[in-house]
Amino acid sequence: MKLLLVQVTRNKQGKPSRVQQTLIADSVRVGRGSDCKLFLPDPRVSLYHALIVRRDDDVFFMEAVGGTLMLAGAMERVIKLAPGQKILLGSFELNILPPEGEHELGIAWELKERMEDDLAAVKSHVRAGLPNTWMSKRKLSWAAALPILVAFLAWPTLNALQPSAIRSAKAKAALTADEAWDPGPLSSAHQGFARDCAQCHTVAFQHTKNAACETCHRAIEWHFARDTQAAVAMHKAVFEPAGSPTKCASCHRDHKGPMGLVRKDSQLCTGCHADLKSRVATTASPNITDFGKDHPPFRLAMRVPGKSGDATVVRVPQKAGSRGEQSNLKFPHEVHLAKRGVRGANGLVVMDCATCHVPDESGARFKPVTMKAHCQDCHSLEFEPTAPTRQVPHGSVDDVLESVSEFYAQAVLSDRPIDVVFQEGARRPGERLSMAEPAKRLAALAWANQKADAISQELMEVRLCILCHEISRVSTANGTRAGTNSTRSWKVEPVAITQRWFPKSRFPHVQHKLSACKECHDKTNSKSSADISIPDIKKCQSCHAGNEPKSGTVRGTCGTCHDFHLKEAKSNRSAAHPVNTPRNPTAHAEKVAVRQ
Amino acid sequence: MRHRTFLAYRQYRYLKASVLVVVVTTLIYFSTQFPLGHYGGTGLGYVLGTIAAGLIVWLMWLGIQKRRYAANNGDLKGWLSAHVYLGTTLIVIATLHTGFQVGLNVHTLAYVLMLLVIFSGFFGVYAYTRYPALITKNLGEDTLTSLLMKIADTDKQIKVLALSASDEINRHAMRAVTDTRIGGGVIAQFRHRPRNCPTRLAAEYLEEGGRSLKSSELHLNRELFALMLHKQKLVDAARSDIRYKAMLDVWLYFHVPASCALLAALTAHVVSVFFYW
Repeated sequence: MKLLLVQVTRNKQGKPSRVQQTLIADSVRVGRGSDCKLFLPDPRVSLYHALIVRRDDDVFFMEAVGGTLMLAGAMERVIKLAPGQKILLGSFELNILPPEGEHELGIAWELKERMEDDLAAVKSHVRAGLPNTWMSKRKLSWAAALPILVAFLAWPTLNALQPSAIRSAKAKAALTADEAWDPGPLSSAHQGFARDCAQCHTVAFQHTKNAACETCHRAIEWHFARDTQAAVAMHKAVFEPAGSPTKCASCHRDHKGPMGLVRKDSQLCTGCHADLKSRVATTASPNITDFGKDHPPFRLAMRVPGKSGDATVVRVPQKAGSRGEQSNLKFPHEVHLAKRGVRGANGLVVMDCATCHVPDESGARFKPVTMKAHCQDCHSLEFEPTAPTRQVPHGSVDDVLESVSEFYAQAVLSDRPIDVVFQEGARRPGERLSMAEPAKRLAALAWANQKADAISQELMEVRLCILCHEISRVSTANGTRAGTNSTRSWKVEPVAITQRWFPKSRFPHVQHKLSACKECHDKTNSKSSADISIPDIKKCQSCHAGNEPKSGTVRGTCGTCHDFHLKEAKSNRSAAHPVNTPRNPTAHAEKVAVRQ
Repeated sequence: MRHRTFLAYRQYRYLKASVLVVVVTTLIYFSTQFPLGHYGGTGLGYVLGTIAAGLIVWLMWLGIQKRRYAANNGDLKGWLSAHVYLGTTLIVIATLHTGFQVGLNVHTLAYVLMLLVIFSGFFGVYAYTRYPALITKNLGEDTLTSLLMKIADTDKQIKVLALSASDEINRHAMRAVTDTRIGGGVIAQFRHRPRNCPTRLAAEYLEEGGRSLKSSELHLNRELFALMLHKQKLVDAARSDIRYKAMLDVWLYFHVPASCALLAALTAHVVSVFFYW
């Protein structure tokens, strides 16, 4: 067969130029192999890609050998060649031409897809440098910063600007806006509103207001009483400088954990008290910086009886207090603490401190010692030997006298076999005084009054009351006492045992229970109730160092013993001073709990 | 010859300054006492916090400044030296500011982000001291572009030679020429020897096929094999170059966004502290 091969190339403008070649062969190999008649020099063409053969008469076929043939988008193994066909063979396009002249078949071939420039080809497969990837510092930065700004700045800020009712409602949600702003756990007492910051932080960009604290802490005590104008002025000068009150938060910092927000450090106090005199010129308090160094001697709260029967409390240095307590009670500890015991109703009773001094529920102090609970077992108030079960009440003088007088009147009128009745001849044993014998009855009453008067005097002045109480004889104001013809009566001085010697400090006994009582209060040789057995500062300092701990001692900061908010400062203290409460025998003192 | 690094700038001027800052703040911290212990809200806490926040903002500003002064090489070294050393002091200053108190909140978030920024910066310092030397050593006299030109040249030779090779060999050779990718996406840029690299596969095929070839084809095969090994060496070098440069660069894609996140958290921290004072 005779073939016309036309190679088409194009210049830059796309203008084609043709190179023609006539080929005579039985079959024509197509490929990039050098032995191929139709030589297609391109790597994408197979070495021996296809074969053109003539079958029978004038029919030409192209058969795929090592490569593929594409005709009108379809892959073919064998193509019956016809003029007008465009066959893709690798990167070449073969155009089948109609027979022309002596040529039985014409094929025009053209490289359709040029191989790129080599360096450009290599470069097209190279991507270097992270900026050429999806990564972008700018985008990543926004992606990292924006969520933080939204979640931790915008959301809480916008939330805080909403009305408090809405905020409080939102505080119940599982996740609150300003949770992430919480710098630390609140104290236990405040955890109830931990999720609603605005409960305390009422105004943005301002310190917590005292009013927020006082919403709940209404009755907080002051640092000192403001019962005089001078005290009020002093309070203003010290705690409201420049008209703005000292912030609660300046001492009470929350978000410091559940252990509470009461400062125990000395700085709290020494901030002012180290140089108090320069701050408050009129103060009587000395400057103090450290319990271990310059704490003044303790002062005892002494009760000083006044002329008109009332008493004032004066704090005096401990040494001056040695003149003794004026409690109006006679109680020699020595007798009661005797090692061999004290003779009681049922034999010897051996007592120690705990027999009478029982810790109260808090363990800080002691329950009041009462006649009924602690004394009366031995100190029976019986008055008539023939009636040992009868006792006078431990109450007012009038109650005692009345009780005695009633007893003897009743005895003389009834058939009680009281010897004295018989002896006086008022009636014989077994004899009843009837209404029909008024003279006898009057005689009996006279006897009873006389007897009662004598017994009362004996109780008051000799045998019973005088043992513990300060008794003086008085005349009744309105003539004879009711129901008697006696004008005698007695006055019992009210017992006023000092309950708090150091009203401005705390001393929790329970925390010191490892020490024996007598290490601080040695009463074994105390013959008088005037003796004061309160340890002095040296005793405390033997265990408590100052602000800095020392070997063998524990720290003793101001807060160890003192409170800032003093209870006595709560209101005008003149009304009822809690230091010493006179125990008034006329009011059943046993039942009156002694104020701490 | 090893040139002086930014770390030793002006006889370690900023190292000395930083050590001084750390020692002084630590001494002050441990010689002062506060009623509620150390935390951000004490007087010292506020001072340390202000210093730390100021440093953070200044160091970030430095990052922007560094770009502006990029032309001025001498200054750049000083900026960088200060950036590294003073940035490191933040670990101490900010930790003392916290008073060693942490929690699940925006405050600790800022602190943690700051540590992340600093430690990613440490990787940067490591990268700056390690990879430039490796890059130089790897490239030798070349540059990445010259390597690529050499690869293109080799490709050309491979293509010519492969025209006469068998179809199978040609296919491998052509794939090595057309499909060998260098660098690429984020992960690809860190790959030293990607699996299924066509050049490597072609070289292996040529090596394997070379044993069962007729002597006429053997010569061609050997020549192709030699070319392919040469190309592989060039490709490896180009890939290493890309990888080293990516290592030199990649930490910044953490360092910078983390810094921005830190700035955001720091802002939230400061605002929140004074919002609920």
